[in-house]
Amino acid sequence: MIPAQRSLLVTLTIVLALASRVFALEATSDERKLFIEGAKLWPVYCAQCHNARPGSQFSPSQWDAITMHMRTQSIMPAKNIRAIKVFLQQAR
Amino acid sequence: MMATPIFGRTAARNDFPRADTRSKPWRLKSLVLLCAVIFPLTTARADDRGSVRDLAAMREQIAELEREAKSEQHRFDESELRIRQLASRLQNMEAQNQRLNQAAQKLTSSNSQFQSETDRRFEELQQRRSENIPTSLFDAAFGRYLGTHQFTLVGDAAVSFIYNHATSTNTFNLQFQPILLYRLNDWLLFQGSIAASLPVGSNASFSLPVATAQIFLNDYLEINAGIFDQPFGDWYEDQSPLWVNRLITAPLLYGAEAIVPPTDLGLQLRGSMQWGELGQDADYTAWIANGPSFDSALPMPVVGQSLNPQNNIGINTNGRALGARFRIYPFPLDAKLGRLELGASTYDGKWQDSFWFNSWGVDFAYLNHDLQARGEFVETYRQMPAGSGPDNRQGWYFQLGYFLRGAPTTGIAYFDDVIHRLEPVVRYSGVNQRAIVTNEIATTPSVGFNGSPSIFTPHAREVALGLNYWIEPSIVWQTEFDLELPRAGGTAFTFNQAQALLSHPAPTPNDRALLTQLSIGF
Repeated sequence: MIPAQRSLLVTLTIVLALASRVFALEATSDERKLFIEGAKLWPVYCAQCHNARPGSQFSPSQWDAITMHMRTQSIMPAKNIRAIKVFLQQAR
Repeated sequence: MMATPIFGRTAARNDFPRADTRSKPWRLKSLVLLCAVIFPLTTARADDRGSVRDLAAMREQIAELEREAKSEQHRFDESELRIRQLASRLQNMEAQNQRLNQAAQKLTSSNSQFQSETDRRFEELQQRRSENIPTSLFDAAFGRYLGTHQFTLVGDAAVSFIYNHATSTNTFNLQFQPILLYRLNDWLLFQGSIAASLPVGSNASFSLPVATAQIFLNDYLEINAGIFDQPFGDWYEDQSPLWVNRLITAPLLYGAEAIVPPTDLGLQLRGSMQWGELGQDADYTAWIANGPSFDSALPMPVVGQSLNPQNNIGINTNGRALGARFRIYPFPLDAKLGRLELGASTYDGKWQDSFWFNSWGVDFAYLNHDLQARGEFVETYRQMPAGSGPDNRQGWYFQLGYFLRGAPTTGIAYFDDVIHRLEPVVRYSGVNQRAIVTNEIATTPSVGFNGSPSIFTPHAREVALGLNYWIEPSIVWQTEFDLELPRAGGTAFTFNQAQALLSHPAPTPNDRALLTQLSIGF
């Protein structure tokens, strides 16, 4: 491998590593935003029909199925049910 | 003078006497020999006999001195040997001590490095902990352990006691309705629900109110196929679960004399979107289904005939029913105006070849902190065969509830706790229809039905007063007092034993009922 190729490979590796770190931080930040939005939506959207149930009543995997079911029942926007799911799964 | 070994430092060669410098024992020996020679010479002349004795004594003394000198020399040699041995051992110990000191220094250095490495790793772990990584990692690991195909069991159950004045009935009742959710992935979910109850005089009764596949195509479109709650208005789909309904009974238009079919078998398309700020949403549902059918036990179609619960096989019509519902939420969440829902629904299909059943309804729901209000108005039109009058029906309800969790405190903790868990509810509902069929009247109470015959009147009216005690967000002890206040008018049809249709004015007696129920959502 000639030096130019080697330096290109090293540079590419560093760039990829930095990019993955940036994406990871963005993912964490997005999840935090969803959590905050979910905390805001949960008492209003759920209470539209019934008392809002706390996240501790079910496991995170159970909330996966229940929030899909509730998306069908309530027909709330997909992004809102995603936020409520993140809130319910983490506020336990 | 003897050399003294110096402790505390490494002994040097000069600290010990060498062989050529050992002068003292030889000096002592020479001195003794000199005395032995000179002393006899000086005294022999004075007395020869005495000299002989003296000489012998002196020789003996000299021999004694020589023995002592030898002994002294021997002790000196032994001491010197021991001193040399001790010096050698001392040198060894000092060398060993030096090695131990070096090892101790190395250990101190290693310990310091290990301590700093431990501190660094501990700090890293603390940072990771503060970023909640361990919890998410645990969740992910546990999720992998459970697998991607997951069964979840939810549902509701209720046990109730019902007293009806007109029929002098008082009875316990039980209903259990588990909902099984089977999630395959993020876009496919199966739902199955079985309702089990205990009717009078028989074994348990089972029904299959809901069994659907829910396919989420994207954020705005979902397919829902199977047997489903009729997505007409808000009641059947959203308010009918035992622990969700704020009262024990259903509103008259969705109860024992329902004017819209409660379930259907078909295919739905549904979705929603946010059209403005957060909270300003709109949703739609469009569906095609087997359509309505009316009580097939009667020998002929008649006005006021009851709807079948569901039409599994469309035998009387080649057409399908079409339905649509649209709802809008006008208030943004941040406006602090509460959450208002406005909806409109329609459901239209042929109940028999060339005879249509048409319906439409509007509904609202409003939630603001502890206040919740909702209501619906529905009209239906059923085309009838020649010779029969029109079969039009109307139904409505208005319901108001208020949580007392913000009520002023009394200062007594027990009473405060009880009062703050209460929710009084009131509902007014009614149905207008031209006739009822007396053969269809069933006054056996069941969960959600008080058994009053006054409900089966053409112009039924009901005032329901309820008081809920919330044990948990999904566990409630409900008490309801129903006043049945039907209005006069309308016709009662009866098929006699010869299947001939008789008609007479419908009786419209008032009635009252008391129900109490423990409802659990799980």
